[in-house]
Amino acid sequence: MSHTFAMDRAFAAIALRRKLAYKLHWVFGIVLGGAGLLVGLAMWSNLLGSGEIAGYDWDAMRAYLIIGFFTATIAFGGEDWLMADRILDGLIAVDLTKPVDFQRARAAEFMGALVSTVPTAVFGTVGAWLLFRPPGPVTPLAGALTAVSILLILPLSFGITYLSILVCFWTKRYLGIMWLREALLSFFSGMMIPLALMPNWMQVVAWSMPFAHFTTTPANIYLGRVDTFGALGLIAAEIAWVVGLWFAGRLIFKRAIKKVTVHGG
Amino acid sequence: MPILEASSLSKRFRRPDKESGFKGAVKHLMQRKYKNFTAVDSIDLQIEPGEAVAYVGPNGAGKSTTVKLLTGILKPSDGTVRVMGRDPHVERVANAHDIGVLFGQRTQLWWDLPVEESLKLLKHMYGVSDADYKARLEKFDELLNLGEYLPALARTLSLGQRMRADLACALIHAPKMVYLDEPTIGLDISVKDRLRAFLRQIVDDGTTLLLTSHDLADIEEVCERIVVIDEGKIAYDGPIEELKAHYITTKAVNLVLAEPADVPALAEKFPDYDWAAGEAASEVTVTYEPARFSTAEVLGDLTAQLLPRDLSLSEPSIEDVIRRLYAGELTK
Repeated sequence: MSHTFAMDRAFAAIALRRKLAYKLHWVFGIVLGGAGLLVGLAMWSNLLGSGEIAGYDWDAMRAYLIIGFFTATIAFGGEDWLMADRILDGLIAVDLTKPVDFQRARAAEFMGALVSTVPTAVFGTVGAWLLFRPPGPVTPLAGALTAVSILLILPLSFGITYLSILVCFWTKRYLGIMWLREALLSFFSGMMIPLALMPNWMQVVAWSMPFAHFTTTPANIYLGRVDTFGALGLIAAEIAWVVGLWFAGRLIFKRAIKKVTVHGG
Repeated sequence: MPILEASSLSKRFRRPDKESGFKGAVKHLMQRKYKNFTAVDSIDLQIEPGEAVAYVGPNGAGKSTTVKLLTGILKPSDGTVRVMGRDPHVERVANAHDIGVLFGQRTQLWWDLPVEESLKLLKHMYGVSDADYKARLEKFDELLNLGEYLPALARTLSLGQRMRADLACALIHAPKMVYLDEPTIGLDISVKDRLRAFLRQIVDDGTTLLLTSHDLADIEEVCERIVVIDEGKIAYDGPIEELKAHYITTKAVNLVLAEPADVPALAEKFPDYDWAAGEAASEVTVTYEPARFSTAEVLGDLTAQLLPRDLSLSEPSIEDVIRRLYAGELTK
């Protein structure tokens, strides 16, 4: 048992070290990570003034944007290119000769790489919190459930990223898939604009996909836009997505490795 | 009982059948056509524990595809593979515990990390104990000079150093069955020699080895058995010495005479041998059939009558035999 987890830890540590190997890139990420948040805060401050749009006043929007920044850092902070490159460059051949579950090893790497985003997420969130003083969670329970929903974003983010990377077995290219995933995630999570501002039919589309759980779910729970029962329902849906995506990943990988060609030495 | 058994093993790939140019690309988009290509064609292979088998063939013959089928990377189109009783594609993880694989053209080192980090991760993957890990690293250091570049980033290594590090990665868990796909590709002579000595050592220690290489010296120095594959089919499977005995029908003695050699006169005097002029006027090469005359007989005959100043024997070259096998001039 300890050997099994030692392997997961080792994969996570390797992925983190790889991220940190490019120190300047990492430091730039920390320094510039909060820029988008500041722009968003300034823009919404002007838009809202003392009024409100779709139930969001400046108080709520500040909290929403900071939660959005935190969750976006997690959503985009994992390692996707290294995974995709292994498939595209044929290094999957080497991976398949190792006594490890491919999906689980990639999940451990993904989580390890996410650790590198901790400074960006913490400094950005704490800094914005101190500067803009958003309201606290509507109740302590809502605060705790918000934390649970944010934690669930970690495996959810992996599930979506992993599935999108497995598509490379068929497409042989990753860039377009990455753009599509990031566009869907940014738009349907509510990171760009809150889902409440979208037409009803678009909200239905957004909630029928896992993306809404990246920003809208934790923000709705935090701001009390759903009651406790509703919050538990959202978290249950998030868990269902995590489990569903995990098994979908297994299923697709089984089919994908039949597509492995890896020509040449 | 064989450690590896492949029966009627085949692999077919589907390749897009595209015309060249923009027109071809558009046409393929509208009307997709594919061609089936057979990379491995119904091969049968058995390897006993402790054997060192060379798997050779020209480019595109199906060597690497076979290795990928045997290691479980690829799913066979037809036929079966059993490695230590397991189907390597179906029981991939269990099989991977007992095998070591090196692809000369693909590294398993984490490119942006020190070599040591890659080895430590593999230690965890295979559950190698601290004591075994230390002992094996010491052995690799002794035989491959690994220690000096353990702290180096993989991307900073020379090709020879990278290959030695990759070999250590493939063997850190002391696998029972090792597949090496062109392990000496691009290496200089001294590194090749060191690698070959190392491979000979692990075979002597009981490891089963399947080696693909274009370098025939790798084969002769490391393996006893050779399997020649061409166009996906096995063209020869047997001991290297037997291959030589079957197909090397002549041997040669190079003589340096005291005076310029008169080749026609010598040919007339010794009609059982073939004579050819050497590079210098006094040099001559005598070719004979070992099936008819022993080397001792030939040497005795020539030295007694010609009193050469010097002589040397040309060792039979497997390279020539394999080249002729590839060219279809020879059949088993």
